[in-house]
Amino acid sequence: MRDYWLSKLFFDLQSPPLAEEYRADRKTVLDRYPLKPEVRAAVEADDVAALSRLVNPYLLRFYFHMAGMPEDDFVRKIRAAGVPGAARVRHG
Amino acid sequence: MAELVGIFASSHGPLIVRNWGNLAPAAKDSLNSAFSELGRRIKAARPDVLVVISPDHWVNFFIDNLPAICVGVGEVHDGPPEPWLKEFPHRTMAGHPQLGEHIVRTAVERDFEPSISYRLALDHGFCIPLWKAGLDPLPPIVPVVLNDLEPPFPSVRRCFGWGSVLAEAVASYPGNLRVAILATGGLSHSIGEPTMGEIDEAFDRACIRHFESGDTRALIDFLNERLPGAGNGASEIRNWVAAHGAARGRGFELIRYDPIPDVYVGCGFASWNINQRQG
Repeated sequence: MRDYWLSKLFFDLQSPPLAEEYRADRKTVLDRYPLKPEVRAAVEADDVAALSRLVNPYLLRFYFHMAGMPEDDFVRKIRAAGVPGAARVRHG
Repeated sequence: MAELVGIFASSHGPLIVRNWGNLAPAAKDSLNSAFSELGRRIKAARPDVLVVISPDHWVNFFIDNLPAICVGVGEVHDGPPEPWLKEFPHRTMAGHPQLGEHIVRTAVERDFEPSISYRLALDHGFCIPLWKAGLDPLPPIVPVVLNDLEPPFPSVRRCFGWGSVLAEAVASYPGNLRVAILATGGLSHSIGEPTMGEIDEAFDRACIRHFESGDTRALIDFLNERLPGAGNGASEIRNWVAAHGAARGRGFELIRYDPIPDVYVGCGFASWNINQRQG
């Protein structure tokens, strides 16, 4: 299950001007998105594990790259996040 | 009548460009060699149009509107929006609306209902292989977006069927065109999930053997069983399956395979034996 507004935030942040604004003033940008309190808290805490359960993995990876988290940190945190593919669906 | 003159596949990992400066010489040599040979074969096929099958990496589509298949029928497509692809030499690329629309009509007659777009932005999935293969000038492109990124995905069997539709559309196109197909993505890789960075080389090599053999039933069974465990990026092998369908299940010739940890991807390149008689 995806969190729509979290996904929308990450999707929108692919716009370079918005990404620049976000890096300069995260709170102002976050205020425009009706995130659930626990989701906003996870964003503000850079909680890779919590966010990984709510958003597509490609958008997750993009977001932390955009936000400036070093790749090694991200890889270490996502590997610690748990069982891969919790939301993976098998289709034949 | 149009003619299918070549069917190819290529990996497209973003780090092939974004991390190029940091790649080991052996990785660069491998990728340069593979893309060079891919480019040589595509050029030798002399396509008037190139149908490129790739996922959309959250550029054109989002979870509020996410087609399983979308055919670009526009006269023009936009170049890649990724800032790290600003050196890509084309800000726009020509389309081929007549073939695109014919593919869509043929698909509907064959019980597929692809969405259409008159203006797609072609992201790295499309543009890295086109660029690195040295296709200059680029032939007009009919982009086909296949959803490999966000479940539910089209089934492997359905992707094979989609490829068959592409071949039918080319064969029935009422014009004199040389058409090639390029499927991009794969092989195994994991992005943004706990196995990030892992490459399943055993899976990749088994997968390649199935494509080489041309045994479609065995290929589909193998992928149904093993694809979900080969990393989320491996889902892009669905594009290769579509190419395999367009080749009517004829086997392919591997151009090169190397697992390259610095780009996170089991990098594969191939061309199908479309002139081989089927048994």
